[in-house]
This record gives sequence, C-alpha cells and structure tokens, in this order.
Amino acid sequence: MMASLKVKREDSAHLAPVSGADIAKPAMIRIAGLEKRFKTRSGETVNALTSVDLDIRENEFISVVGPSGCGKTTLLRILAGLENASSGIVQCDGAQISGPRPDVGMVFQQATLLPWNTVLTNVLLPAHLKNDKSGLTVKRAEGLLAFMGLKDFAQKYPFELSGGMQQRVSICRALMREPRILLMDEPFGALDAMTRESMNMELMRVWSEERKTVIFITHSIPEAVLLGDRVVVMSPRPGRISEVIDVDVGRPRTLQTMATPRFGEICDHIRTIFGAQSLTATAL
Amino acid sequence: MKQPKAHLLQSIAVAVILIAVWEGACRVFDISPIVLPTPSSVLVRLYALFTTGMIWPHLWATLIEVLSGFVLGCVAGLVFGAMISLIPVFERLVYPYLVALQTLPKVAIAPLFIIWFGYGLTSKIVITALVCFFPVLVSVIAGFHSTDKDQLDMMKAFGATKWQTLTRLRIPSALVLIFAGLEIAAVLAVIGAIVGEFVGAQVGLGYLVVTLNFGMDVPGVFAVLIVLSAIGLAMHGLMRYAARRYIFWIRRSEAPVMT
Repeated sequence: MMASLKVKREDSAHLAPVSGADIAKPAMIRIAGLEKRFKTRSGETVNALTSVDLDIRENEFISVVGPSGCGKTTLLRILAGLENASSGIVQCDGAQISGPRPDVGMVFQQATLLPWNTVLTNVLLPAHLKNDKSGLTVKRAEGLLAFMGLKDFAQKYPFELSGGMQQRVSICRALMREPRILLMDEPFGALDAMTRESMNMELMRVWSEERKTVIFITHSIPEAVLLGDRVVVMSPRPGRISEVIDVDVGRPRTLQTMATPRFGEICDHIRTIFGAQSLTATAL
Repeated sequence: MKQPKAHLLQSIAVAVILIAVWEGACRVFDISPIVLPTPSSVLVRLYALFTTGMIWPHLWATLIEVLSGFVLGCVAGLVFGAMISLIPVFERLVYPYLVALQTLPKVAIAPLFIIWFGYGLTSKIVITALVCFFPVLVSVIAGFHSTDKDQLDMMKAFGATKWQTLTRLRIPSALVLIFAGLEIAAVLAVIGAIVGEFVGAQVGLGYLVVTLNFGMDVPGVFAVLIVLSAIGLAMHGLMRYAARRYIFWIRRSEAPVMT
C-alpha cells in the first residue's frame, strides 16, 4: 500500500502535477533554509523551526498538519509578516516578507471579530483601515456575506451569531481586499465536528470561486487531506517538515471523497509518519 | 421572563419580613429609640425632613459635592490612566507616586483638605474626586492591558496603524473594565463627600447626620442614611445603565459584578 503512494520529500522544483496550481509558473512563495529561534524567559534558545524548505505555487492549496509545538503556527505567522525569520529565505514574488502585506488575508483560530461592530462593519474593517469607504466596497462586503449565506446578518453583532457563522464572517473579512494569499490558522479548530465539515465544504466552494493561494493549518489529518493539493506534514522538537504529500484525489471533493480508498490511504500514511515520530520520541 | 419576576418577589418578601421583625422586636422588647428606632418612626422622620424642607439645602450640597467630585475624579483618572497606559515614560515617572498617594488613607488627609480648601463645598469636592480617582485610574490601566492578543495580531495582519489599533481596538476593549471602575467610583463618591462633611462642614447630609446624632435624633439619622443610600443606588444605577448602553456587547451574565 505504501509503495503506491506518490510521496516524496520536497527538495526540488520538480513537482508532480496537482489540481489547483499553475505549474508553468515559478513558485509564488519560496521558503528556503528557514530558521526561527525563540529566547525563553530563562534565557534558553528554542528552535521553533529548523531548515524549512517549501515552494508554494500560485493558486495552490497547501494544508499544514502536525502536532502542537511543531511550529506550524510560527510558520504561518512568519508568512503573515507578524514575526520575522531568524534566518533563511521567505519570499513572496521574489521579495523577502518583512511585514504584513496588503495582498494577504488572514483567518485566525478564533474569529477575532470586533464585538462592538456589526457583521458588515467587521467585514469592511480591512477596507476601512485603508480609508476606503466607497459604495463599491460596501457592495463587495455585502456580496461576500451573501455568498457565505449571511445576507440577513449584516446588521447583527458577532455575539448574536453561532461560532460557525462568526468564523464565516472572519473569512469574508479576510477576502475583503481580494487577497492573492489566504493564510488560515486552524480556522475550524474551535468548531464542533458537524459545523467543521460544512465549513470545509464552504471553504472549497469559496476557493473554487475565488482562486487563491491558501495555506491552511490544521491538526486534523482528514481535514488536511480533504482540502489540500499538498499536505505538509510537520514534526516537533525542533519544528521541521517531515514530508510533503501530493493529494492525488480529483476535485471537486465532497464529504463522500473521505470514504474513498485513496483518501483513506493518504490519511493512513500521514498517521504512520506521526506514529513513527512518537515511537522515536519514546525510544529517545 | 418568569424567573427574574419570581426573584424580585422573593427579594421584596425578604425585605418586608426583615422590616416586620425589626418593628416587632423594637415594640416587644421595648428598645429605646436612641439605640434602635422602629422602621415606622424612621419613615415618619424621613417624611418630616422633606415636608419641613429641612433636608433640601443639605441634600443639594451633598449632591453637588458627589456629582462634581465624581466627574472631576473620573476625568482625572481617565486622563492619567490613558497617559500611563500609552506613554511608557509616564508610567515609569508618575505611576509610582500615584500608587504611593493611593496608600494614604483618604480619611486621614481629609482634615488637610479642609485647611487648604476651606469649610465650603470645594474641600469636599476635592476629597470626593480623590476617592473616585484611583478605581478609575486602575481600571483604565487594566483595561488597556486587557486587549486580546489575537485581535492585536489581526489588526496588525490587516495593516492597521498604531492610531487605528488604538481607536478601533484598544479603547473599545478597555471600556469594559473602565465601566467597572466607574461603577465603583460612583458608589465611593458618596462615601468621599460624607467623609469630607464629617471632618468639617456647615451644610450637607454628612453634616446633618452629625448634627442629628448630637441631638440624639436617631430616627433622623436613620432617615438621612436612607437618603444617602438612595443617592448611592441612583449613582450606581446610572452607571449600570450607561454601561449597558455603551458596552452592549457584554452580555449581562458576563458583566463585571460590582457592589
């Protein structure tokens, strides 16, 4: 079973064809030799990320999966420009990422909506921060809300919405300024299993309508496989990439896709990687 | 909606029973009105205080002290709190002295204020303002520290400037705790004014309490106490109302409970 998997370490620019991405173009995001070290309060240096190499093509959907402490959130924060790399290359379109970029939208684990603003004002926040208050912008925000099935909630406040709806609003907000890159940090981690599945489908729908480069962090293996063109498997202490797996399952994918043998094989393979990791950890 | 109504009825029932027991005990054990007056005699005295017009000048004086002191103290607390929270140099240079000032018991320095600001309303307003200042100061500082880290990241990721983060996130976030501080200050304001009047005054409800007490008019003292707690409750209620209006996103169950 293992042999049939097209699994390989990401170490070159030659990549197996995958669905969403445009392989003719060079990598949109280029990460090479990325290191991130933190100083703890006691003065020790902790390697959060070590020798991370990854090329991401335009419009590719990348899932990042790994146990807590593997540095996946740190990786995303560096891509978002919220933190700086200690060393290594983190480029977007050939320019080092050194701060928040206007063409990046971000969705956090918590919806992080501003509770004193209405749903519509929350979605408009990225535009308001750029002093863009045109009617066209409001139209776009309303369109996004309608697209997410939140048309009737535009004038409601976040506390009047369920967790799933709040997260949908936060996705609308991230899409507001038509970003080319969407960074998602365990966006559905706080939701119950049922809501989570419908949110996965929702996200697939968004991605098929508004093609973007998505980097999606999760600790759910099925979620990672269901959504991603490729799954980046990370391991902790120090945080690094163990494997990059092509998900050669056709699109459109539905919840039924999860019942197919190929889907199960890939999930099993990722579990094996984690299993091997924990075995090594015990052996050490 | 049935639940709160039932609770209200229960609270009223408890009050009625307590007052009945108090009234009964005073009559059965023939307790001297100088020690503990009956509720009925207190009510009669309270009615008389208003009908004779005796209470009005005192009530006005105290109200002016409470309200002006409260406003002054809160404004000062907000301004200093904001400066300490937002300007690091200010925190280092000024905050330690403010804390040192806070450790002084206000009652003990009240006589000084009488010397500095006279027997009139000014000294009481200053004392009240000082009493209100600290809870507001502390709540403003705590409020600015309470900004959610994820939301700060969110603002940064969307390219917000420092000023935008302040006005759109940090100030609204801080309001929740600031209102809690204002609620405490509202109740303390009454205490501040009365302390000032006890130390030295020619008018005011605190002065009236001292005078009535001196004349052994204990039902009168109780009657004034009722007026004082009514002022305190009204101040508190006003702040609760304002809080519910301006920080509407905090549901009642999550609202800071202050007494």
